[in-house]
Amino acid sequence: MFDRAKFWRYSRYTVLTVALLAAAFTLYLDMRVRSEFEGRRFSLPARIYARPLELHAGLRIAQIDVVRELQEAGYGQGPREGEPGWFANDNDWLEVAIRPFVFWDGPQPAKRVRIAFEGGAVRAVQDAEGRDLPLARLEPLAIGGIYPANNEDRVLVRLSEVPKPLVQALIANEDRNFYSHHGFDLRGIARAAFSFLRFKGLQGGSTLTQQLVKNFFLTPERTLSRKVTELFMAVLLEMHYDKDEILETYLNEIYLGQDRDRAIHGVGLASLFYFGKTVEHLTLAESALLVGMVKGPTFYDPFRNPERALERRNLVLRETKDRGFATMEQYAQARAADLGVNQKAAMGTSPHPAFLDLVHRQLRRDYDEADLRSEGLRVFTTLAPRVQAAAERALERKIAQFDRGKIFGEPGLEGAVVVTDTQSGEVQALVGGRDVRFRGFNRALDAGRPVGSLLKPAIYLTALAEPSRYTLVTPIDDGPFVWKSRGAPDWEPTNYDKTFHGAVPLRTALAQSYNAATARLGTDIGVEKVLATIKRLGIEREMQPFASTLLGAVDLSPLEVAQMYQTIASGGFRTPLRAIREVTTQDGRPLKRYALAVEQAFPPEPMYLITAAMQGVVREGTGRSLSNWLPPETAVAGKTGTTTEQRDAWFAGFTGDRLGIVWIGYDDNRAARLSGAGAALPVWGEMMAALSPEPLALPKPDGIENVLIDPESGLRGDFACPGAVELPFAQGSAPAERAPCASALGVAVEGVKQQAKSWMQRLFGR
Amino acid sequence: MRAVLAFLAIAIAGCATVREPEPGGPTPAPAPLPEPAARTENLAIAGLLDGARADAAAGRLANAAASLERALRIEPRNPRLWQELARVRLKQGDYAQAESTAARSNSWAGSDNALRAENWRLIAHAREARGDAEGAKGALEAAERQR
Repeated sequence: MFDRAKFWRYSRYTVLTVALLAAAFTLYLDMRVRSEFEGRRFSLPARIYARPLELHAGLRIAQIDVVRELQEAGYGQGPREGEPGWFANDNDWLEVAIRPFVFWDGPQPAKRVRIAFEGGAVRAVQDAEGRDLPLARLEPLAIGGIYPANNEDRVLVRLSEVPKPLVQALIANEDRNFYSHHGFDLRGIARAAFSFLRFKGLQGGSTLTQQLVKNFFLTPERTLSRKVTELFMAVLLEMHYDKDEILETYLNEIYLGQDRDRAIHGVGLASLFYFGKTVEHLTLAESALLVGMVKGPTFYDPFRNPERALERRNLVLRETKDRGFATMEQYAQARAADLGVNQKAAMGTSPHPAFLDLVHRQLRRDYDEADLRSEGLRVFTTLAPRVQAAAERALERKIAQFDRGKIFGEPGLEGAVVVTDTQSGEVQALVGGRDVRFRGFNRALDAGRPVGSLLKPAIYLTALAEPSRYTLVTPIDDGPFVWKSRGAPDWEPTNYDKTFHGAVPLRTALAQSYNAATARLGTDIGVEKVLATIKRLGIEREMQPFASTLLGAVDLSPLEVAQMYQTIASGGFRTPLRAIREVTTQDGRPLKRYALAVEQAFPPEPMYLITAAMQGVVREGTGRSLSNWLPPETAVAGKTGTTTEQRDAWFAGFTGDRLGIVWIGYDDNRAARLSGAGAALPVWGEMMAALSPEPLALPKPDGIENVLIDPESGLRGDFACPGAVELPFAQGSAPAERAPCASALGVAVEGVKQQAKSWMQRLFGR
Repeated sequence: MRAVLAFLAIAIAGCATVREPEPGGPTPAPAPLPEPAARTENLAIAGLLDGARADAAAGRLANAAASLERALRIEPRNPRLWQELARVRLKQGDYAQAESTAARSNSWAGSDNALRAENWRLIAHAREARGDAEGAKGALEAAERQR
């Protein structure tokens, strides 16, 4: 009796305690559900775009290149009524239904354009009615993103944008009682248990709400307590939110596949990824394919397992029809359709990781890392897909060729390429290594390598800025040279060909990259002065004021070299290299523009002269093998670079429109036994040849005159002198004396010839 | 009418600045570039230029600059576009950029003395705004010399 009373009392306490605990637990879960669901904003990656292709009459581009870019952007071939995102073409015409796109300067609606091609160029751009358009801007290619943790990628959609058949197929197959249950579905569970008992395999039984809770709040372990928590939270979620809110969140959350290291989430991104179209244009068959993948995106991957995916899709279609969501006719039509997936190369977080790396670094100066990974910023970059492809191809091919030669051991030869626009400083392409898709050590930015002869133009530029002392024909002594300085060993530079060449004209010393002549010239002018020039060209790194610095005993990255040559390529106007044009918020509000900036660092005359000298390098010097790729009219200005024991091979050069820097070598600094001309120049040549470069033609400044020079004597020549060359000189600096061969009236030609010793003899007395 | 004039001016400037004789003597003369439909190419520029001017007049200077940069990507050697950009920079109060952008225009101006004179006047404005009276005077003198 006594015991019994006690028992009841204790029981009541126990029940009360349990009830209180349960209530507390429920309250806690409720708080979590509400705070997390409401506070939950999907983390959206910053989305990175290439430059948009702007088509206008006169643009030199082949139709195939435009088509390639459209395909890359997921445009399908052949007209599709009622939706943009396709193109149609014949030999001379290309018709494009451009998708709507929000640019930095505002939204551009969907539109149809017709583009006429002729002789590798655009002849006309017209609208659908045949009226001339000044310009057609295509939608830019997405080239990657800066992703949140787990590399989750998604494109948010509203429920109202999602086509009905997709929602119906989802409900029919995943959770038929979605609109009537309260978060869990006993009938569903019973059905699952029943089919499990009949050996038909394990079927879900989870409602959409439960699936969402599982993805949202919980870890993937499968324990009973987790299952109970999931059930509680699902019920709580249903109490607080209506069905449409839950469904919309589900559609944006659901995991639907993998693109290398990038996880495809939500139906918005999935429809772009698999079908190259926005979600509202999905057909019933396409919708069914996506719904079928909910069960197992890898198992039913339509790219890797097309047959399995097709079978699964048809099962989904039948279920949809059986539930009364599709007529027999719709069902038959959808069943007959093929998968319709858009075969394109896997992209991962980016197909061009090295360029993305550069963009990311430039963004980090102005934005929080956390914001970049979650705010869905849209970043419009300068990448030119065609140029990037040419750079990647050229580097891959050349390195594969060296590999086949099997002269180089493991790890293999490496390389890097930078291409910029000579006028604007926009980085059009960047390759960070032989494996162009590899996200890792970015040699274009981070490999500081000895630049060798690439610094020489700075020395000659410094000289040519003093026209009273130096012109292109000033003789420079390429005899043995010793530089003594206290506290350092003697410095005795030798030439690449191990011989000395005596007195040579300045332009030849650069063209042939003679080390002794250059060292003499550089020390005559003064190392400090040359270093000041290098700084003015845009190199920020501090350099040691040693004589050996002159011959490139200095480490620079390919990007730094590009900055230096950029200033030369743009005629002395220093232009900071840029990879970003604009940044907007997720919905297109402009945040920041990275404007074109120029600064005149050098007067035009010496720039004109050094460019002429660098054209000489390619025409008749160490870069002359470039004629294997480009005709002489392109008049490329360039410089080869080869370092001690041939560890590094460089070529830096520019045409009228592009500057390119190529480096080849080993990461571990082994001797590569490759010269700039032998290894780096072919990559440059092949790449540029693929891009139909514009010839280089600098405007001649007022202070420059062209004078005919007799190469024999280095004096003023005329038509009578064999092989006379026209060379530019700063006004008044050209040699006044006439060459013996010149047919000057009143001059006893023979007498002069006999008296005149060669100019070199007179200057050096030998 | 003004649009037509501007268009003609650009067309002429475009022709005048495309190519100059090359340095370095005996190389064969450069093959002429294919220049299909130069008229419509200028249409693209004219459209962007009109847009830029409208934006600048309405005080949307960043948009104006963006349109001019788009135009410069099509015709990087067109000194009128560089000049227009210098004018926008001046309005934006970016005097250093105004000056160097006008200098860039000069580098492509060829024998167009009127254009050069205008660039020097822009440079004078920019220098004055920066408090460099001496430099402004020099620039105005340079403008005078262009006649």
